[in-house]
Amino acid sequence: MRDRTGPPEMFDYVLAALSPINLLFALFGVAAGTIIGSIPGLTATMAVAVLVPITFGLPPESALILLGAIYTGAIYGGAYAAILLNTPGTPSAIATTFDGYPMAQRGDGDLAVSVACLSSVVGGLVGALALLLLAPPLARAALAFGPVEYFWLAIFGLSLIAALSTGDFLKGMIGAGFGILLAMIGVSETSAEVRFTFGSQTLLGGIEVVSALIGLYCVPVLIDLVARPDRHLQEAGSTRGFRLPEAFATLVREKFNVLRSSVIGTLVGALPGAGGSIAGLVAYSEARRVGKGSPSYGHGNPGGIVATESANNATVGGGFIPTLVLGIPGTPPDAVILGALLVQGVRTGPALFSGGSDIVYTFIFGLFLATILMLPVGLLIGRFAYGAIVKAPKSALVPVVAFMTVIGTFAIRNSMSDVAIMVVLGVVGWLAKRFGFAVSPIVLGLILGRIAEQGFVQSWTIGAAIGDLPGQFFGRPLSMVIIALTCLSFVYPFLPRLRALKGPGGVPVAKPERVPAPLIAGDLIAVGLMAAIALTAVVLSTSLNPDAAVFPRTIALGMLVLCALAVAQTLITGQVRLELTDGSWGRRIGVPLAMALFVMLAPRLGFGLAGCVMGLLLIGVSEYESRTAKGWLILSASVVAAILVFTLSFREFLAVPLPTGIAF
Amino acid sequence: MKLKTIMAAAFGLLAGVAQAQEFPSGNVDYVIPFGPGGESDITARLQQPFFSDKFGQELVVSYQPGGGGAVGWSQLNSMAGDGSKIMGINLPHIIIKPQQGDVGFQTEDITSVYMFHYTPDAIVVNADSPYQTLDDLVADAKENPGAVIFSGSGKGTANHLAQIRFDGMADIKTTYVSFQGTGASVTALLGNQVKAAWGYTTVGAAQGEAVRMLAVAMPERHPAFPDVPTFKELGYDLVSGAYRGIAVPQSASEETRQAVSDAIAEINADPDFQQKMIDGGFALVDVGYGEAMDAFMAEQSGIYLEAARAGGIIE
Repeated sequence: MRDRTGPPEMFDYVLAALSPINLLFALFGVAAGTIIGSIPGLTATMAVAVLVPITFGLPPESALILLGAIYTGAIYGGAYAAILLNTPGTPSAIATTFDGYPMAQRGDGDLAVSVACLSSVVGGLVGALALLLLAPPLARAALAFGPVEYFWLAIFGLSLIAALSTGDFLKGMIGAGFGILLAMIGVSETSAEVRFTFGSQTLLGGIEVVSALIGLYCVPVLIDLVARPDRHLQEAGSTRGFRLPEAFATLVREKFNVLRSSVIGTLVGALPGAGGSIAGLVAYSEARRVGKGSPSYGHGNPGGIVATESANNATVGGGFIPTLVLGIPGTPPDAVILGALLVQGVRTGPALFSGGSDIVYTFIFGLFLATILMLPVGLLIGRFAYGAIVKAPKSALVPVVAFMTVIGTFAIRNSMSDVAIMVVLGVVGWLAKRFGFAVSPIVLGLILGRIAEQGFVQSWTIGAAIGDLPGQFFGRPLSMVIIALTCLSFVYPFLPRLRALKGPGGVPVAKPERVPAPLIAGDLIAVGLMAAIALTAVVLSTSLNPDAAVFPRTIALGMLVLCALAVAQTLITGQVRLELTDGSWGRRIGVPLAMALFVMLAPRLGFGLAGCVMGLLLIGVSEYESRTAKGWLILSASVVAAILVFTLSFREFLAVPLPTGIAF
Repeated sequence: MKLKTIMAAAFGLLAGVAQAQEFPSGNVDYVIPFGPGGESDITARLQQPFFSDKFGQELVVSYQPGGGGAVGWSQLNSMAGDGSKIMGINLPHIIIKPQQGDVGFQTEDITSVYMFHYTPDAIVVNADSPYQTLDDLVADAKENPGAVIFSGSGKGTANHLAQIRFDGMADIKTTYVSFQGTGASVTALLGNQVKAAWGYTTVGAAQGEAVRMLAVAMPERHPAFPDVPTFKELGYDLVSGAYRGIAVPQSASEETRQAVSDAIAEINADPDFQQKMIDGGFALVDVGYGEAMDAFMAEQSGIYLEAARAGGIIE
């Protein structure tokens, strides 16, 4: 044990991290992590958990380097699905979809993937640097965050809706309320009571965030994809390589963005109760607030990818700060890594950082190494993922992606219920979008609702015990800062409009005409449905104990008020924001139907066989060209082969207990 | 008498051989009804290498989280009963949860075959806390009812029931703030958001000198913490904690149940395994399948349910 760590020792650690075996582990870890992370549903936590048994036989440093590399790779890999399929593979990549998918749609998917890779590398390096140099002070600072601060942080996160809801602010807020109510389903985390399950076993486990993400983001893409014959993504005219020079130029242009986002990611990552999703969203909304340039944010500005991806990879290093300094996992994958260390016989907790510096510093340099290796590995795999998605014919893409969504969703908690919930949420997400309720506020509510409720009930208990509720909620300095930020973030998006109202040079806008009555009726029905959901929640919460009831009831009542305002707005202005679509309805309905059939068949036929049935049905639903018999055969055979390969690798390599049914 | 013992031992040995052929007959799926990274996962991971060493088959850990364990336990009996599937179980969860609403299983539905360790309840304070001893804390709580605020790992968990029972024994009133798991509870403690934590000995093992344990709820002192008194020594009859064990589907035969129980017992008897568990702050118990388990479950149910009723967690 050394009491001082000077430069010569540091050099030893660098050398130790660079030993051939550690290099190999870092390389393997990054590649495996990136591939696992790129499949929606396979999270960084799972990637790490799957590989834990491999590490039992390794020396602790190598084990840590391997696990850290997998983690880093998985967080980056989540960007592929976000960019190419509009599906955040992990909650950290939600904001990557905002600009990544529009870029891919217009044919810049390759550039988006390269920008994501570069940003992830920079973010990862900043996070690792903070871990190396600032870990103890940052860990102590993170402890200043108590329940109240987490509550306000969640509210701050929700205030981003104001910035994110591109159109209708009221509907954004209603959607967030809906998301929060969804988060309340299942066994309450604050009172252990069963809530809002309607007696159903399917809902007992609550709505899992990642499966909700897959349903809400990916299924609507599939539904719209089959409705029209045009391609999924614009294909580039010729191969353009990695478009690295362009990607570098983007990063240089966004240098402040990348630094700011990396710092945000590191800081939020160091908070044990927050995590990558909040980091990515906060960084994104900050970038969007100060960002200019065209196209604007939300329509394919690479700055959005830069912000999110640098922030979420910075949370890796940031998350290790409380993990290694305090022995408190900063993120869920960190918890698994801590457990693996314990099995190794390494004493975790504060003693690790102060006493076991050999392991810790070798690991930190290993993390640097893994992050740097991510550049070539990530670019190569990204290139492959892009090529595969762009070149695949629609009738192969839709069935394979649909199968990926169900197998990925199943793997999160090894639960068929989650798959059923995912499909239902997919339809809900598609309908909601059509009626002007954007998906992102719903997701924000779902993620932040839990954090907010816990913080709220805990603060309430503490405040009541010390006899100072207002002081507890509003009197703590750190809370006041977050409250101020929240107010700013709520008001900021409206400033330009307020200015336009006051300012003299404002162009008078002609009053738009009222839309036809059926559209207004549709809008009112949609808002009415939301109100009905809120009302149901209010009624159901009367039979719960106070701890379990207070939060959902408050949210539901707020939702009712917002619904009333939304109805008034529609009736007065005569404007509605509906997404009009054309294309085939039969094919559209075919997608969720095939997936629902899969949910019914999988336990009986087996996951793989039921997947093949769904795949073949979806080929029919999504194919617009006529093919020769041989063509059909090749297409069907390749889809079936892909599905079987996925099933096998999930079973054998990832140890996912997929139901086998009667066949496979 | 002696002959009888020897006979019994010999039969046991023979039976052990016979069962060793039957279980494990292949890789065994070890389903943890929680997410990865928790104590149930960590202890399963500690068993994993010993299982493959001793029985030549892999113990494959998988997770089925949701509803605080309820999702996994409600599906236990639909799994294969041939010894290829075993599931982690936790007390007080499997006793308290079915009383809190329809969670898809009853306590009797679960065929517990072995309890292999527990994390003893402990009162933990920050290293710089004014509470040097348990008496300091009790005195403060007597003077300021409700103002001694504890963090804990969740409503209805072992440490919450311990808080309720201890309040009764010491005739004090304290406040319990429920956090999402031990990690979050310890974070609140280290950040001085609360005055103390109802935690486990594992917290003391992980946090080392950053915290001080005032008392542990064990019959004897924990080998890793010879300086920390037990509640018993201080005059409170509190021996409790979160017990973890193994269950099999109801369809498993008597032989399989016994064989699984014996296999876990064998791992528990390994000195290397014991040392790793103790270093982690865990405490081993050995409650095998059969009468011992029935008696243990009956005793614990009585204690836990009474405390839960006293605390208003169940009706």
